[in-house]
Amino acid sequence: MAEGGGGRGDGGDKVRDEFFSEAQELVDGLGRDLLALDDALKHGRTDVELVNDVFRAVHTLKGLSALFGVTRMAGLSHELEEVLDDLRLGRLEVTATLLDLLFRAVALYSRILAAEKGDGEEPSAEIEQLLLALGQTSQRPTGRGGGGVAQYDLDPALFGVLTEYEEHRLRSSIQQGLSLFRIRVRFSLATIDSALDELKASARPHGEIITYLPSGSGADVDTIELEILMAGRATVDVLRGAIAAPNVAIEEVRRRTASSSQPAGRPAEQLVSQAAPPLATSGAASSAPPAAPRQPPAVATRADAAEMSLRSVSQTVRVDIRKLDRLMTIVGELAIVKTAITRLSERARARAADPRELAMELQRLNRSFDRHLAQMQGGILEVRMVPLGQVFDKLARIVRQISRDLGKEVNLVVTGADTEIDKLIVEELSDPLMHMIRNAIDHAIEGRAERLRVGKPPVGTLALNAFQKGNHVVIGVEDDGAGMDPKGIVAAAIRRGIVTAQEAAELSPRDVLALVFMPGFTTRDVATDTSGRGVGLDVVKTNIAKLGGVVDIASDVGIGTKITVTLPITLAIINVLLVEIAGRLFAVPLASVDEAIQLDASQLRAVDSREVMTVRGASLPICRLDRLFGLAPSHGARKYVVIAQVGTRRLGFVVDEIVGQRDIVIKALGQSLKGVRGFAGATELGDQRVALVLDVAALVEEVLSPGEARFLGWQPAARGA
Amino acid sequence: MAAPSKARTEKRAARRAGEMGSRTEYLAFLLAGENYAVRIGHVAEILRPPPITEVPRSSPTVLGVISVRGRLVTVVDLRRRFRLPEAPLNTPMDRRARILLADVGRGEQIGLLVDEVQQVWRLAVEEIEPANALGGEQPAYIAGIGRPAAGDGTVLILLDLDPILESP
Amino acid sequence: MRRVLVVEDSVSARAFVRAVLEAPEFAARHGGVTVLEASCGFDAMRLLPRGPYDLIVTDINMADINGLELIHFIRKSAHHATTPLVIISSLRGEQDVDRGIALGANAYLGKPFTAEQLRETCERLLGESPPSGLAARPGEPAKSGSGS
Repeated sequence: MAEGGGGRGDGGDKVRDEFFSEAQELVDGLGRDLLALDDALKHGRTDVELVNDVFRAVHTLKGLSALFGVTRMAGLSHELEEVLDDLRLGRLEVTATLLDLLFRAVALYSRILAAEKGDGEEPSAEIEQLLLALGQTSQRPTGRGGGGVAQYDLDPALFGVLTEYEEHRLRSSIQQGLSLFRIRVRFSLATIDSALDELKASARPHGEIITYLPSGSGADVDTIELEILMAGRATVDVLRGAIAAPNVAIEEVRRRTASSSQPAGRPAEQLVSQAAPPLATSGAASSAPPAAPRQPPAVATRADAAEMSLRSVSQTVRVDIRKLDRLMTIVGELAIVKTAITRLSERARARAADPRELAMELQRLNRSFDRHLAQMQGGILEVRMVPLGQVFDKLARIVRQISRDLGKEVNLVVTGADTEIDKLIVEELSDPLMHMIRNAIDHAIEGRAERLRVGKPPVGTLALNAFQKGNHVVIGVEDDGAGMDPKGIVAAAIRRGIVTAQEAAELSPRDVLALVFMPGFTTRDVATDTSGRGVGLDVVKTNIAKLGGVVDIASDVGIGTKITVTLPITLAIINVLLVEIAGRLFAVPLASVDEAIQLDASQLRAVDSREVMTVRGASLPICRLDRLFGLAPSHGARKYVVIAQVGTRRLGFVVDEIVGQRDIVIKALGQSLKGVRGFAGATELGDQRVALVLDVAALVEEVLSPGEARFLGWQPAARGA
Repeated sequence: MAAPSKARTEKRAARRAGEMGSRTEYLAFLLAGENYAVRIGHVAEILRPPPITEVPRSSPTVLGVISVRGRLVTVVDLRRRFRLPEAPLNTPMDRRARILLADVGRGEQIGLLVDEVQQVWRLAVEEIEPANALGGEQPAYIAGIGRPAAGDGTVLILLDLDPILESP
Repeated sequence: MRRVLVVEDSVSARAFVRAVLEAPEFAARHGGVTVLEASCGFDAMRLLPRGPYDLIVTDINMADINGLELIHFIRKSAHHATTPLVIISSLRGEQDVDRGIALGANAYLGKPFTAEQLRETCERLLGESPPSGLAARPGEPAKSGSGS
């Protein structure tokens, strides 16, 4: 094991950060590939290239994790690699059970990475179980059957430069009686990447590329010469037609057949009969394993469903280079403005210009600067945007796992994966969406028998979609399950003490559905393993609210349910109300503001040392922020009350002036101010002035601590313990 | 032998100075009448103080936050931190006052408000006395005493910024 | 100044090797070290003409042009037929490593290797050969490797 994690001593944290970034990418890619393999399996296909890609990903993870001292990951990868090597060398077949193990491994990888970063416990028990299951799967070979190679006019030295895997692919192709081709190419260094991609694309339908051999002397520094070895069923003419390009020469590797016709027949037969036995034995070998691991997965699944987060451990963002190009262009324009300013200042110093002209020129430049700065800001915000497909991919894995766990077949349909949203929001979204999907599959979608009984297709459908609407992104999770029964919801809510019978009677259908977001709500009295862990929809709603978003639910009994999440595109820009308190400016996020009214002193009264104001017949507790913040109060005649609403609680903040509404870019306060309560951040108002942004939820919590809940205007009936 | 020329005397002095071992550069500043200094490598930038926005309920040593090219920087009142006499109430900030920006790590910076920035001294090892030479327990942020040979008796209180940055 | 070519498809593994080779104490012992990185066989072929190199560090299991084919190509070339070459690889089968050595690699480090092991191996291979490009001309004393 690498002592102390290789990266830490040399070059330190930065190298280690690279590791996390790369490891996360590899794990994500692995997940996607496994989904594709799963899909192929359902259609009765096996994609050889995909299996090799999966092998290489695990192989790389093994090397990396060992290098950086993440032993658990290295150990797991080592076992996985054995199994995957057996798979790609044809010693094992891809089965659903095997894929299950692989999916479990991916989930464990994420948890190990998180634990390495200090977020969560290392899932040692589950790793042990998986290792056990994997150990029982891998098979030792019963000979690869190497005959037939001699038939081809290949340079024996070739085998000296092929890796074991490439050699296997070559022999396998030969066994299947495929033709071999040599494709000689010369590429210019400048265009090799695209030229190669094109060649691969044209060649792929006709066969498999075994390897790329550098040829030529390397003397010409501007070109690269390669000899590509390929196997396929097409004729050389078809291939020449498909890969037509200058500097490409294709020839078939000659097969040495005896000159007389009879011997020509026999070698071919020999080829075929030699091919048969090895295939038969490998078939026998692979039919054995599926039986063995059946036990362990059943035992382990329940534990696996334990708290798992879909967050990435990496804080990096992959950026489209075009976005960066646009930013560079803006920087260039800013440079031009700067030069103009320099010239202007020189003229001013030399008193060579008419002051009025100078002032006008300055003003023009100032406007230009503002414009470009705003463009730049927009450009940088764009860089933070990532496609929702990132989180949708992870959710696809969850859907697969849950549906297998519960024995409910679910068809996942995803649209709008290209829709972009701020990277931070994507990270925060993964878990809430996961809970919603769990709920949908567990509770909403009926079992096969039930669905057939009510005339629905046997396989349930879960639709994930996303689209952009102005400054917001709308994400929908829709199922064609049993829908939510308003009567059942009301009954459960009453039972849980969330509402009284009278209150329930006054609720609109939409409000009834909204009850499911109340804390403590569940229609199940028995917690199921997958979702009954108290991660109710109330947590989901709170998490979404933290992102400045809202959740809506619509449902029809017997038909299905749709949950809609609306989020601002970026956390960074929020709409606020600027207010003045004790001569200072503060910003109140409008998402938490219900309304703003004038303070009517006649409506104030003191209740138990708290001030309460009567608004439209209801009592509203108020808070004098100048006092709370310890600022010298100003004694203006008129004051205003900004009424904030967080969940079901309302609080009125007393301010001196309401300055106006604005879109601002919110910045985080540094670590040094971590202990200060009540502020979500700050923003620059122009002119280098800074206004603090209120953390409304925290202030409401602070002012209205639970003991004082009895002063709220409307409140839930006493909760059962 | 003729008296050594001025140029050669200077050259000899410089060589001797170089021979005194490696030197470290310190940025000296004035605070409540005393001369302090920090290693120049720890100072990322020196600014004229922009408007400082007070942060209610923050620690008394925090003066507030400022915006530096769009980034928020917390400004620490070194007088409070070092328990020095307060500036007389209602004195407008001297036009010589400056804010020193120091890197805390992870991209964050902290600003230190000082009365005046003076000069950079290149102190040799021999010109620095360790903190305990002052006798008794010294606060963690005092790294030593600097007495530049060419300083005409100037005494610099050398600061270690880490304790200040970790708990402003 | 020593020039090293690192061929490896993993970004962080390359960063790790670079950190070891560019560490002040190690670099100082060899008169400074410049590391060039290639993420695949093609990039390596592109960088080869920018030599000469005093050391080549390469992985074996890479897509398209694998490490063995690259070693074969390097050993055939005019300028790098004898350049010290280390294979870094986490292979399961010895066959691939054997092929690498047979093709002319000088050393093999199995992943995971420690920074210390990498240093030792590179130290040994660099020490055994004169700095590239600083070969003594007739009549001149050979320069030592620690020119500023």
